[in-house]
Amino acid sequence: MMDTLLLLALNGLIWGLIIALIALGLSVIFGLLDVINIAHGDFFMVGTVLAWFTLEVTGNFWLGFIVAPLIGFILGALIQRVVIQPIRGAAALSIVATFGLSLILQESVRIGFGPVPRRILPPITGTIPLFGIEYDIYRIFAAVLSVAALVAFFLFLQHTTVGTWMRAVRHDRDTAIAMGIPAKRIYILTFGIGFALAAFGGAVAAPITTVDFRGGVDILPVCFMAVIIGGLGNLPGTAAAAVLLAFFEGMIQSVADPTIARIASLVLMSAVLLLRPQGLFKGHIR
Amino acid sequence: MTAPVLETRDLTRRFGGLTAVDNLNLTLPSRQLHAIIGPNGAGKTTLFNLISGLLRPDAGQVFFRGREITGLPAHEISRLGIKRTLQVKSVFAQLTVAENLWITYEGSKRFLHPLRDAESDRAARERVERTLEQIGLTAMARRTAGALSYGDVALLEIGMALISNPQLLLLDEPTCGMSPAETERAVAKIREMAQTIEIIIIEHDMAVVFGIADAITVMAQGAILASGNAKQISQDERVREAYLGRPEDEDYVEEAINA
Amino acid sequence: MNGRIAIERLVLVLFAAFMLSVPWSVPALISPFWVSVITEILIWSLFAASVNLLFGYVGLLSFGQALYFGFGMYGVGIAIDQLHLTFWPAFGLGIVAAVVMALVSGVLAVRLTWHYFAIITVVFSLIFYFLAVRMKPLTGGDDGINFSMPPTFVFGRSVWSFTDATFQYFFILATVALCFYLMHRVTRSPLGKAFVAIRDNDIRAALIGINVYLTRLTAFVMAGFLAGVAGALFAFFGRYASATYMFYQVSGEGVVWAIVGGAGTLFGPVIGTTLFIVIREVVSTHWEHHSLIVGVMAILVVILAPKGLVGLWRAALDRIERGDPAASVAQTLRTEP
Repeated sequence: MMDTLLLLALNGLIWGLIIALIALGLSVIFGLLDVINIAHGDFFMVGTVLAWFTLEVTGNFWLGFIVAPLIGFILGALIQRVVIQPIRGAAALSIVATFGLSLILQESVRIGFGPVPRRILPPITGTIPLFGIEYDIYRIFAAVLSVAALVAFFLFLQHTTVGTWMRAVRHDRDTAIAMGIPAKRIYILTFGIGFALAAFGGAVAAPITTVDFRGGVDILPVCFMAVIIGGLGNLPGTAAAAVLLAFFEGMIQSVADPTIARIASLVLMSAVLLLRPQGLFKGHIR
Repeated sequence: MTAPVLETRDLTRRFGGLTAVDNLNLTLPSRQLHAIIGPNGAGKTTLFNLISGLLRPDAGQVFFRGREITGLPAHEISRLGIKRTLQVKSVFAQLTVAENLWITYEGSKRFLHPLRDAESDRAARERVERTLEQIGLTAMARRTAGALSYGDVALLEIGMALISNPQLLLLDEPTCGMSPAETERAVAKIREMAQTIEIIIIEHDMAVVFGIADAITVMAQGAILASGNAKQISQDERVREAYLGRPEDEDYVEEAINA
Repeated sequence: MNGRIAIERLVLVLFAAFMLSVPWSVPALISPFWVSVITEILIWSLFAASVNLLFGYVGLLSFGQALYFGFGMYGVGIAIDQLHLTFWPAFGLGIVAAVVMALVSGVLAVRLTWHYFAIITVVFSLIFYFLAVRMKPLTGGDDGINFSMPPTFVFGRSVWSFTDATFQYFFILATVALCFYLMHRVTRSPLGKAFVAIRDNDIRAALIGINVYLTRLTAFVMAGFLAGVAGALFAFFGRYASATYMFYQVSGEGVVWAIVGGAGTLFGPVIGTTLFIVIREVVSTHWEHHSLIVGVMAILVVILAPKGLVGLWRAALDRIERGDPAASVAQTLRTEP
């Protein structure tokens, strides 16, 4: 019993780290562009598919960790330029546009990859002893990779010019533009990075989930939960909330089935949402 | 004796570490056009927000004609007849001028009929037409409020105040951003309204304040610095300092405490 | 101005005439299959209208209307399959279930606005989606429950039932038309004006004495009613109820239909829904990846016609009547929620 609990808690924790990566992408896109990105789960799904194709074509799994975010970045930048830029400033339209995007991504993958879910074998197999249980070594590796990516992203935001620009645009768009920060390029970059983070999360998660054209559908609500619970505009909070949520679900799964766990975390989220005073009239004082 | 139109007792509101309104005791007698002035950040708008129910006080009470209204929701306070304008002109930008007035007239009703045609209410329609004439916007009645000039929006705000049958009207910098000609028109309108309505006005423009106010309260750092008529205020040393400003903020605070 | 009213009235009359002739004209001109497609469009239009009532008129973007659709659907399904009720009590149960659910969840949800509101509505709908999936004995889970159709009216020997496609069509047409008429009345009423005032500026609305919370809740329950009626009709139409219709993607489709058609307009949702379902039906017989086209269409419409298709139509009318620029500005502003 104790072992199962520990196993599920660890699984939750690691899944939470991957979710944190994806949710961060969602959060920066929302924070900078005011876009509610319904297609974000599909960005993750595209990442898993890119990992699968990389493995198929080159026979090298590791290459996927470069290919997925790279192609993700290019796709994201392209999408921002072609679809999001023309409707900037209209949050409601962005929901429709990204919903359309979600359909396009899912359908394209269904055409190119096929409708049948597939599995990728982890490149490293075996277990190591951890807190008294034998734990899957790839999952440990996935956790390390996710943490590394999270740290890299925060370092990028804090210590590079572009990162500073991104924070400036997020903080006060008008002032940032007035000071000569190239907002349009920042928007393109932001969307690219958002997609890249989700795609990287997908590549990391590919061996511990299934590669499926509908793989993003379940991920999306969880990412939104993390962004909301962590607080809109609070990136570390988002990351922490993602980990906590997945951990929480993992724990509940030890006593109930996954559906109940999901319901429990949804109920938890409603409570958080309703008891947060920020929800009331926020941003409406004119 | 009639109860004062508005009274606050130990009214306090904090934002984090900042005390925006600090133990404020204010008694505004009836039948006087009252002005509240003070430097930026003195807590004037916060005070209006506390009175009109947009904010809840951390401590203290608000009384309207002797009746406690502390903590009531904004729409309940509005239904008691306390109406206000906002500092940043705020009308229903996507409704027409006439619709803005209409909804303001009907808004206070406890029951909004879900099926009757809104335009079938003759009393309301006539009242809207009369108000349009009063503020001189009849020609603009079918224009969308968002497409009006700044001065016209300000006039519409005054029209919305008029049509709502206020007992007490809180005007937050009504002439802010107006041209001199528009200011003159607005001041004349306010003076006219003050004949029948209790008015409290927040104003930055000293010329406007001294021109129309019967009584003036000066706020600084969330507290009352001085009060009196125009003459007393204009000669008050502390007020002049607060307005002309001193380089050291500490003096401000000291004076506010001493006041 | 009069020309405009005349054109719009003519279009409306032609539209009404077409809708009344569907059971005969459509099989003659296209095929009987399209009668059922049009029936389905009617039902989903009502669903999109429920999104539109909240978003287009009150400014609350609900991503969870599928919940009330699902409750309407299951109300009917469970009433017939398990409680063995007849048509009307089942219909009533479906609608009441949806309205009660909307009231209960609305009491909580309308305390929030904008992003938080969108999220809480989707969260509520997901909770009940997962519950429905799990409570298989009651709901049949993803497979749903099938039931056989009880008759609608029985007068002595003559029986009116949905098994008669023409009766089914007219029953659904009448119900949907009644709902749209009610919505039309509401949007022109004092309550409807209060909706728009709140959409426009909720702080100001409170300051003029409108009870913003209660008004939003009223709209939310009304929207739940519309979605519930749509769900109940869809259950009768398909003779089944399933949890899949409670998933958030169904809610999302409703949002897309409403906005593409033109939020804040009465017929916008009908037009948006018609466009997407017709594309789906036409393309899916030739090509299984019709969603691709739906996605591209959604993006094209928001980029090229941000006011929705009704916005395009109004802009065209403005051009026809020689374009008073002020009037056209006013028109475009009014369609923008």
